[in-house]
Amino acid sequence: MKKHEPISIETIKAMMNLTDEDLKKPLPKPTKWSQPFWDAAKEHRLVLRKCSKCGFIDHPPYLYCTNCHSDEHQWIEASGKGTLFAYAINYFGVPFPFWADLPYVLGMVDLPEGPRMISNIVECDFDKLANGMELEVVFDDVSEEITLPKWRPVKK
Amino acid sequence: MSKGEFAIIGTGEVPCGNYPERSEFEIAYTVARQAIQDAGIDKNDIGAVLCAQHIMSNPDNDYNTEMVFGRLPEAIGAKGCKVTCMTSSGGASSFSLRKTAEGILHSGETDTVLVVHAQRFSTFTPNEQAKYFSIAGSDVEWEVPYGMTYNALAAMITQAYMNITGTTIEQIAAVCVANRKWAMLQPNAMFNQKEITVEKVLNARMVSYPLTTLMCNVLGDGGSAFIMTTAEKARKVCDKPVYILGEASDYSHRTITRAGMRDFATMAEYLAPIAKRAFERSGLGPEDMDIFQIYGSYPCIQLIIMDALGLWEPGTTGALVASGETSPGGKYPVTTNGEALSFGHTGTGVGIALLVESVRQLQGKAGKAQVEGARFIIENTGGGAFMDCHFTVLGNQIPG
Ligand SMILES: [Zn+2]
Repeated sequence: MKKHEPISIETIKAMMNLTDEDLKKPLPKPTKWSQPFWDAAKEHRLVLRKCSKCGFIDHPPYLYCTNCHSDEHQWIEASGKGTLFAYAINYFGVPFPFWADLPYVLGMVDLPEGPRMISNIVECDFDKLANGMELEVVFDDVSEEITLPKWRPVKK
Repeated sequence: MSKGEFAIIGTGEVPCGNYPERSEFEIAYTVARQAIQDAGIDKNDIGAVLCAQHIMSNPDNDYNTEMVFGRLPEAIGAKGCKVTCMTSSGGASSFSLRKTAEGILHSGETDTVLVVHAQRFSTFTPNEQAKYFSIAGSDVEWEVPYGMTYNALAAMITQAYMNITGTTIEQIAAVCVANRKWAMLQPNAMFNQKEITVEKVLNARMVSYPLTTLMCNVLGDGGSAFIMTTAEKARKVCDKPVYILGEASDYSHRTITRAGMRDFATMAEYLAPIAKRAFERSGLGPEDMDIFQIYGSYPCIQLIIMDALGLWEPGTTGALVASGETSPGGKYPVTTNGEALSFGHTGTGVGIALLVESVRQLQGKAGKAQVEGARFIIENTGGGAFMDCHFTVLGNQIPG
């Protein structure tokens, strides 16, 4: 594969006439039904919404259980383990706030509890990425309010 | 709907590309008149005017607001118009518009419906476009904060598909090459000037591994229109109506992580029953198809859809495309307008463009891209983050 020089964020900023506001990263805006997830993430805990009636785990969560429509639920602690189902490495053409992070990895992570999540795979050599590899959750405090759960390979 | 109850009798289309001076209104009015002329009907016969949604809005003169509030029937002087509305399901809009048209025709209020799409991206800044498309394909709360993109979504699916099926990146690139060969025969395609090679596709700038720029679709200004009628009216006014012979649909998800198919190896297994239902309703099988109008917007998705048709062993379609059999002159013509990758992606019109090309092929009006003697076509569409899938069998005759 041919290597192309990355285009610096300064070049992009000048080319596209961007302001600092344009370079601010988008953060999750928790909803009434997702707030407990983000509250837990802030405490570096990974939680999932489990229906008390039918046992279904909804992620992303919704207002009520998508399986049986019950309101009754609890937030259970996830194991923090996952496996990589698929990945992509972004090199170019990303929203401008992410330009400075290039290249970065996106992965589909399967949790043993059932749900699948999209997240960044961090602390990883690109050459070592492999479908099915074991991952563990890490927490990135991106602002006062928001912590993003991310994933890294389990060290053997 | 029963087999061959409705037909498309005329189409219109403007070139796809960068045309900042051509407003979305000008496109809509132009393609509407073309479709009316092509169908050979009186404009006052049109009893319903349906519009596709415009992606992003111009605050001074918003196309969507204008169309929702009835601008188009007035602008084209459709004096017999009784119903007008906007229908959208993103890239699947060709299907939802057609279903809406079928419902209106079923009501008996009118026997002639005009469907119009128009899109102008080029007047929005790259930042505006980047912002819109970062939230269109990805979940704002759960994906966008991680720097998720449409291209990364397709890249992950491609990466998983290659890993599971053994399809090579050269075969993925071959899809782009085949699409380009078709686009070279299309006067309205955005990229119809230069052929590409597998090597060129692979050596283009890496966007989202394993996808290079030439494996990602490009947005273009454009628009198209078609006229749909009852089969009864179609036979009276048109030499070669194109009948809707069978349709089938399924919805899966908004957020890709909640997709019904957990494993993309079995994606064909999820899609196959939809194609099968469409074939069954038409009374035809995949082996009867003369053209396969496959919409994927990314090369790997085209292969996954092809895998679902029941004609080829799932996972082998990459090799089929690489053999040249889906290119012009091949045994299995696939996506004769060059697809989003080479025709250009016009937003909600991407599937309408493919439908319009299908009609042209079945009416013998496809010019240099014409597949001689084409009688039956299978066509698909889908929207969002691969949220749904719709298959349609079209024909210029109703099989017994
Ligand atoms: Zn439940």
